[in-house]
Amino acid sequence: MKVTFPHMGNMYVPIKVLLDTSGIDYVMPPYCTNEPLELGIRHSPEFACLPFKTILGDFIYGVDNGADFILFAGGRGQCRLGYYGDLQAEILKSLDYKVKFVCLDLTNLTPKEILNRIKPLTEGKSILNIIKGIIYAVKTVYMVDNLNELARYTRCREIIKGQTDRLISQFHNLAQKANGYKNISDIINLTKKSLRQIPVDKKYKPVKVSIVGEMYVSTHPNINFQLEKKLGNMGVEVQNNLSISHWITDHFVRKLLPIKFKKEPHEAGKEYMKTNDIGGHGIHTIGCSILSAKNNFDGVIHLYPFTCMPEIIAQCAFSEVQNKYDIPIMTLIIDEMTGEAGYMTRLEAFIDMLKMKSEVATTNN
Amino acid sequence: MITIGLPKGLFYFEHNMLWERFFKNLGCNVITSQDTNKQILDYGVKCCSNETCLPVKVFHGHVYSIKDIVDYVFIPRYISLDKNEYTCPKFCGLPDMAVLNLKRQVKVLEVRIHTDMFPSETFDSLLEISRVLNIKYSDIIEAFKAASKEFDEYIQNRHKFNQYIKDVSSTKSALSVLGHPYMIYDSYLSMTLLDKLTRRSITVYTPKDIDHETKRRNAYPFQGKVFWDVGFELLGSAFTFAEDKNIKGLIYLTPFACGVDAFILEFIERRIKSHYNIPLLKLTIDEHTGEAGFDTRLEAFLDMVG
Repeated sequence: MKVTFPHMGNMYVPIKVLLDTSGIDYVMPPYCTNEPLELGIRHSPEFACLPFKTILGDFIYGVDNGADFILFAGGRGQCRLGYYGDLQAEILKSLDYKVKFVCLDLTNLTPKEILNRIKPLTEGKSILNIIKGIIYAVKTVYMVDNLNELARYTRCREIIKGQTDRLISQFHNLAQKANGYKNISDIINLTKKSLRQIPVDKKYKPVKVSIVGEMYVSTHPNINFQLEKKLGNMGVEVQNNLSISHWITDHFVRKLLPIKFKKEPHEAGKEYMKTNDIGGHGIHTIGCSILSAKNNFDGVIHLYPFTCMPEIIAQCAFSEVQNKYDIPIMTLIIDEMTGEAGYMTRLEAFIDMLKMKSEVATTNN
Repeated sequence: MITIGLPKGLFYFEHNMLWERFFKNLGCNVITSQDTNKQILDYGVKCCSNETCLPVKVFHGHVYSIKDIVDYVFIPRYISLDKNEYTCPKFCGLPDMAVLNLKRQVKVLEVRIHTDMFPSETFDSLLEISRVLNIKYSDIIEAFKAASKEFDEYIQNRHKFNQYIKDVSSTKSALSVLGHPYMIYDSYLSMTLLDKLTRRSITVYTPKDIDHETKRRNAYPFQGKVFWDVGFELLGSAFTFAEDKNIKGLIYLTPFACGVDAFILEFIERRIKSHYNIPLLKLTIDEHTGEAGFDTRLEAFLDMVG
């Protein structure tokens, strides 16, 4: 069995580690190219959200290139993400692809259940290697997110512009070719070391912007037009409130621990939504923007794919959040028709405004 | 006496009877907003963000139109209406959306319904209502139980009184109109589609005409799985009607950029193409849709169906 998987930001690095370690054969769709996206758009419903289209595109590309097994995660509830798997399986079937489609329900899953569901894939493979693979993969998730964290710090402070970008793109080139935990972790550590050696201006006080919104669009650079990179090169320090490591911490690590944690953004978001769930990251989005204001960020960028239902609800709260917490929020909606130039213009105008605002604040004090 | 306002949008078309009875049992005065009209639509469009779908915009217009003549506007918070059946996210956030979009100028009463995972939430919210309206909790519970019993009976028996069951064995040709209840039964949003068809003496069936169980049984591929409630209704109806030889065509009415319909329609379209031989007309509506273009497409479809 040969498996294929969709891209989501840097997620391919830990997935590669997992599959390599457990000895499962796979096809990886190309990272950050438009070919799979176009395949996805051609076969998706017009008003499906962008993540659906890119994920479907990655699947079709993978199956075209020899994969015969797809592993996908879904859930239950209001957000469409829970039903992606069923529709994608249906579309692949009607396109006459012969492929086994397994959908994991991720809302409440323990590691043991995951192992059970992926049995067809793991048959004949050593259990020890699979467990090792999972542990290594989780470790890699944290390592990669750490690396990104560091890149966000250096990118806006570096003295010679472009050094961070060069190291990060070098990292991606190497990571796509490398196999196995050892090689990949070596590459991560090496990149980390070189990032630390970049000369930075330590006195520089950057404008701080926090990214909230839908997880896929916020973490996948290919469809958010490399937002983090663009902001960093404008001299802005970025905090992305959505990353896979956050998500794993919230959903798995904290559930296994005996102490119950309250999810801070979630509690903060409830100020405007008197319910526990409006689907997707809706409440998280509101909560994170409130917390960003409290943590002295200069602005918030709200990202979501066109027709995303939970984020449309969250957006209603923003006019009040902006006034009450005195923080500018800009909403950017992305679909396959979004033009990069118009997107850039809005981004530049927003950042200019933030810079002017903080200058006025410092001269007044 | 307390006056409660019921906006005539979204949940109203399915559950108006339940909530009207509930508040009448409590001795409240119930005022329903007018049928949707241009003014209501315009206000809704003005106070919602662009991306909001048309029915939700119209709903805001309804809330606005009655907010000054009632003490409280009633907006239920539907999360899940049955085991394994969820609603569109907009329903979960509806009371908050209305309050935020109307700049807190409206007092909202809500009842939470989450049958799938937390059925007890309903009683928590009823307790809240009893506090706000200053009515004894036991009275509220009694009123709610009586209203929902009456409503359940009505739903159970609804399909028995309609024509579809009687016609199913005849050879009378008919059309079926599918879509969210708040699209097809709201005559302003649907551009009087149902009337237009009846005026041409065409028999029309809607999802209401099929019983609950049949729809769940035919809702390919979600039988026994988790999905949206409206998804079960529409998938089930589409495939039930598609199998009926007397039904000459399906018309699907969808608001622009509806997230739920994007998925449901794709399931219907793909399966109808591969398994059935029945024409399907998809009509998309938003606040800019002109009636002339709508009629042209409808007439062309009717001519083709014959």
